[in-house]
Amino acid sequence: MVSTGKKFMAGLAGLLLCCLTMMNCYAMESYPEEIEIDVLADLYEGVVFDHGLHVMMTEGCAVCHHHTTGTPVVDSYCAKCHADEEPMASVSCQDCHSSEPVTAGNVRGKDALLFHDDKPDLKAAYHLSCLGCHQEMGAPVGCQDCHARTETGDAFFHSGQFAPAESAGSSGH
Amino acid sequence: MSKITRRKFLAGSMAGGAAIAMAPTKKAFGANLGGFPDGMGVLVDMTRCVGCRSCEAACNKEQNLPDPDKSFADYSVFDEIKHGEKRRPTEKAYTVVNRYEPEGSEPVYRKIQCNHCNEPACLTSCFVNAYTKTPEGAVIYNDKVCVGCRNCMIACPFSIPAYSYSSAFNPIIKKCIFCYDTRLKNGQMPACVEACPQQVMVFGKRKELIKIAHDRIRRSPDKYDDQLYGENEVGGTGWLYLSGVPFQEAGFNVSLPNEPIINNVKDFLAIVPMVLAIWPALFTGFHLLATKGKSHGHGDDHSHDGQEEH
Amino acid sequence: MKKLAENGIKPHDAQLKPDGRKFSLMEKLLLGLTLDQYVQQVIRNKFNWLLALIFAVGIPLIIYRFIFGLGVVTHSSYDYPWGLFLGFGLFCMVPLSASGFMLGTTVEIFGRHDFEPIERLALLNGLLGYFFAVVYLLVDLGQPWRLAYPMVYSFGPAAVLFLVGWHVATYLSVQVAEVSTAFFEWIGFRRGYEFIRKGTIGLTVSGIILSTLHQGALGALFVYAPGKVHPLWYSASFQWIHFFVSSIPAGLSMVICVSTVVIYTMKWRCDQRFIDSLDRITISLAKGASMGLFTYLFIKFLAVAHDNEWAYLATGWGAWWLFEIFFGVVLALIVLGIGIHHKSVALCRLGALITVLGILLNRLNTALITFNWNLYQEIPHIFEVIIAITIFAIYIATYRFILNRLPILYQFKNRAEA
Repeated sequence: MVSTGKKFMAGLAGLLLCCLTMMNCYAMESYPEEIEIDVLADLYEGVVFDHGLHVMMTEGCAVCHHHTTGTPVVDSYCAKCHADEEPMASVSCQDCHSSEPVTAGNVRGKDALLFHDDKPDLKAAYHLSCLGCHQEMGAPVGCQDCHARTETGDAFFHSGQFAPAESAGSSGH
Repeated sequence: MSKITRRKFLAGSMAGGAAIAMAPTKKAFGANLGGFPDGMGVLVDMTRCVGCRSCEAACNKEQNLPDPDKSFADYSVFDEIKHGEKRRPTEKAYTVVNRYEPEGSEPVYRKIQCNHCNEPACLTSCFVNAYTKTPEGAVIYNDKVCVGCRNCMIACPFSIPAYSYSSAFNPIIKKCIFCYDTRLKNGQMPACVEACPQQVMVFGKRKELIKIAHDRIRRSPDKYDDQLYGENEVGGTGWLYLSGVPFQEAGFNVSLPNEPIINNVKDFLAIVPMVLAIWPALFTGFHLLATKGKSHGHGDDHSHDGQEEH
Repeated sequence: MKKLAENGIKPHDAQLKPDGRKFSLMEKLLLGLTLDQYVQQVIRNKFNWLLALIFAVGIPLIIYRFIFGLGVVTHSSYDYPWGLFLGFGLFCMVPLSASGFMLGTTVEIFGRHDFEPIERLALLNGLLGYFFAVVYLLVDLGQPWRLAYPMVYSFGPAAVLFLVGWHVATYLSVQVAEVSTAFFEWIGFRRGYEFIRKGTIGLTVSGIILSTLHQGALGALFVYAPGKVHPLWYSASFQWIHFFVSSIPAGLSMVICVSTVVIYTMKWRCDQRFIDSLDRITISLAKGASMGLFTYLFIKFLAVAHDNEWAYLATGWGAWWLFEIFFGVVLALIVLGIGIHHKSVALCRLGALITVLGILLNRLNTALITFNWNLYQEIPHIFEVIIAITIFAIYIATYRFILNRLPILYQFKNRAEA
């Protein structure tokens, strides 16, 4: 189980990152052009996320930010409660999504808000949100299309320099 | 903990052949007890799986399995067909992900590993009791007592256990043990669950997972096939599956009974003490009836002429 | 041996030589022949050459299997964990060896001493069949040196295999005891013989119990695999009865087959009592077998009706099932029936052969052919086939070795004085 201290530190780190990169994100129509998402970097490098490009391509902030930016809510399920929500203080993914892996117990047990009881953890929030849309839009979906594998990652996946002799050189799609 | 009692009960009545003891167990035999109340499980939501094989890599590392034949970043394994079948767990891989291409749908990926049944067929078929269902929900295996009869491989309805045939002096069953030794015992989730980037899997108490799964189906009825695979199959499994396509299109065996496998065998097990109790008297009686008035001292000289008595 | 008999040399068949001295053990082993005569007759027999050829290939393979593991002689299939060694060795050998308890029951329990001339052959057939089923098992087990674990070290008493293990082990001991009377006679250990003889009824009854249960248990083993065994060969309620009931004609027919081989190839070893009564006994055994077969036929269809599986009969697997039934059961019944009616020993023997083949087909169907009917068909590794044949050849050689020596087919002449 995660100690509260560790959680606190993670929260603090998240908050710091948010302050550094999205200082002015509360103001409408002002947002960071580029965000480096690297809190969870381990097997893969961090992702340099072209926020500006994605803002231009999507129909609204709420596609990714649910109801926290004050723009009309896209997901009809969220809209049941949050249709007319004002911009909120927390808009970064990690403000709500835990960087610790989620289990059924800690989600259902600790979140008093009934409809948030199946909230994915941070890693899943990123991937589900990004990859889900990329699949629909025909955007790149390969792991290394977004983030390069680290040496640790190569060791983990038995790829690159750690690849088995027979299939050396085969790479991810 | 009624489950333990039942299994022990079965054990007692078999070993002793105590016919009388069978009478009060009739109810217990038919009951489906549903496993340990606080047993853990994993909910697998296949609509989220993208086939990245991170879980396979994590399992390989956690269980110190031999190096794979192909890199875990090599997706050509999805096209591997052996004997007309896709991949299955082996002695070198406790979990594998397969890709299925249902008609009119995007490819779906299915992770296969031991489903950690509530009432495991492998356990009930093992004559040296090498398997244990732990209160935490894992089905673990003791290679120190395994004789290598491989009946568990016959019995497993999901075709999970593999055998290290290549070992001459210590061949053993190789299967997923829910990371029991290294993680589950300490309340931690298995390595594959933690490694998943998409949170395809949620780890938790089985009974909580069932609620979460039905909530997901209820919230997105168009997204999911209206079934939670493993909730009832063969008496319920610790690992539960949600799918966006009908389960048979993702390679699942949808013809499994809801009864635990052992229930099929109970007809036979029930007659065992009966035969032990009834046959001696019955056949000794036949003997007395059949030989009454005839010479008793046969055999000693084998001197009877068959024709005479005929 | 035929040649020797023509020259007036008779095999050892009594405790005492014509001059009143006892035969030594060596002389008994050599059948009362001189070493030269013995070796010559061994070499003259063409069948020995065939055996030698099989052993020359097969025995190194068995050693190879034990040094390098099962992986080198089988396909190491996870989907077909049980191959020929169990599919044939265990599941076929055991029903064909049901003869021991059948004839034991007939003679000792029902007092039908008219079957006595063949009782010992039936008991030996049972003992050797079980013994070699265990040999097959030892070759198949991953860690055969742990064979005794379920007896002494770690118990899984709710498992059907636990029951099979215990019962086969116990029954083997019972059969050893039953056959030991012949052995005690042969070595001339009168007191051991009498001691065992006293316990005959007890041994026979335990034989019936153990046989009922483990013949049935072999069937129940497949009840663990409802999705894997084809529904036509699977019956949760009746599988054990199918296996038990079919073992009755199987065991009886096996005795008819063995006695046929014996009377044609080893007539010199049979005494007049055996030769004179064999035709009558063959027909009687055929009657028993046909009753068993008829019951079996009935309950096979009963199982199909019980699970309402008629629709499967229209499929390819259904045709195969019907073939098994019509060849192995119906045809056998017809041939046996005509044979019994016309008192034709030859037809009874043919019917018995068909019965044996039918049971073999049924067991192989259940264990290998229709197993995993939804998957691919496993064709055993060539080495696996050779090893299975080799063990069967060892079985035949052992069978013959014992029949040649122990008073199974003949009675000791001057036993009373022994």
